[in-house]
Amino acid sequence: MKEVFERIRQMLADILDVEGDEILPETYIVRELGAESIDLLELAVSLNSGFNVEINDGDIFLSRLRDYVTEAKGKKDDVVLYLLERLPFLKKDRIEEMMPDLEDGPTLKVKDLVSYVEWRQENG
Amino acid sequence: MKLEFSGTRALVLGGSCDLALCLAGCMIKAGLFPVLTYRSQKGQDRISDGLKAFCGAYSTCYLDFSDRDSIGPLLQEDPVIPDFMVDFVQGDIECLIASGESDDINRYFSQNVSFRAEILKKVARMMLGQKRGRLVYISSSAALRPNPGQGFYSAAKLASEALYRNLGLELAGRGITTVTLRPGYIDEGRGRQFIRKDHDASIGKVPIKRALTAREVAETILFYLSDSARGFNATEISLDGGLTAGK
Repeated sequence: MKEVFERIRQMLADILDVEGDEILPETYIVRELGAESIDLLELAVSLNSGFNVEINDGDIFLSRLRDYVTEAKGKKDDVVLYLLERLPFLKKDRIEEMMPDLEDGPTLKVKDLVSYVEWRQENG
Repeated sequence: MKLEFSGTRALVLGGSCDLALCLAGCMIKAGLFPVLTYRSQKGQDRISDGLKAFCGAYSTCYLDFSDRDSIGPLLQEDPVIPDFMVDFVQGDIECLIASGESDDINRYFSQNVSFRAEILKKVARMMLGQKRGRLVYISSSAALRPNPGQGFYSAAKLASEALYRNLGLELAGRGITTVTLRPGYIDEGRGRQFIRKDHDASIGKVPIKRALTAREVAETILFYLSDSARGFNATEISLDGGLTAGK
């Protein structure tokens, strides 16, 4: 985790023009670092070339998270299990942590990017 | 004026058409390295014949807008990121809006708009990595002034122009810019056939009273790829001798 995190921290610092020590695993990427869609696109390109893994922008940036929650509720499914199936790089405790946080804005944290990259490295 | 370029590698979509071959020759003379796409053996042969004087100064790769699987390998064998892209590809369809076959219509837009969007995504992301790229889309004066029977063609052109315009809008801050050219009658390829069929109805309406030559269109494209034209972004420019300026 540490090596992946350090490299992602450097990428974020370069793209967002912020100091590296402002970026921690628990840092919110949009809420705190102010990343915009163009920054996320640039980050996806950097992650793809830097780690040589395929990046699905919608998955890694949790773009469809709210849609999935709505779908699960509509089907009366267990929301956490539904999200675990669609976003398999996230752990159950992280999804549970996100749920009460959804109303406050984009929940994406630096540690989610790390999870995604590590999951891609293991699963291709 | 000697044109200067930020980069050398130029991906040319639809590389086997007459205009693309003319452009490729001009590019090579200007110090650029064109990578021309083809969709068939015939197209690849046309490129070899058309550029036999420039052996080793260009390369080719397969790309077929009707074959989605051809996007994946694009530039994989030759993974040098393009600095430029010029897009000549456009399928032909001529029928009245009210008489088009549904399958043909869906296929046409899938190939000429959706596929193009996927190509733009791939190439733009490659260019984004190097924070530099210039894309020129070759549209047509028929995009804005279609004849009866050119409705689908015009709609696909306008949709494609919109893709390029927004790309230039979204990525200019990262060094990637776009321009669309709308040529009128060109004395080459499909244009030449059309002019021969009805000279008065075509050239008679052009204020400069002649068709454009492939060479002058190619040189114009080269200019829009150059550093001198960097101020043009996310816009459409007519190149039609004044055809669409008046009634």
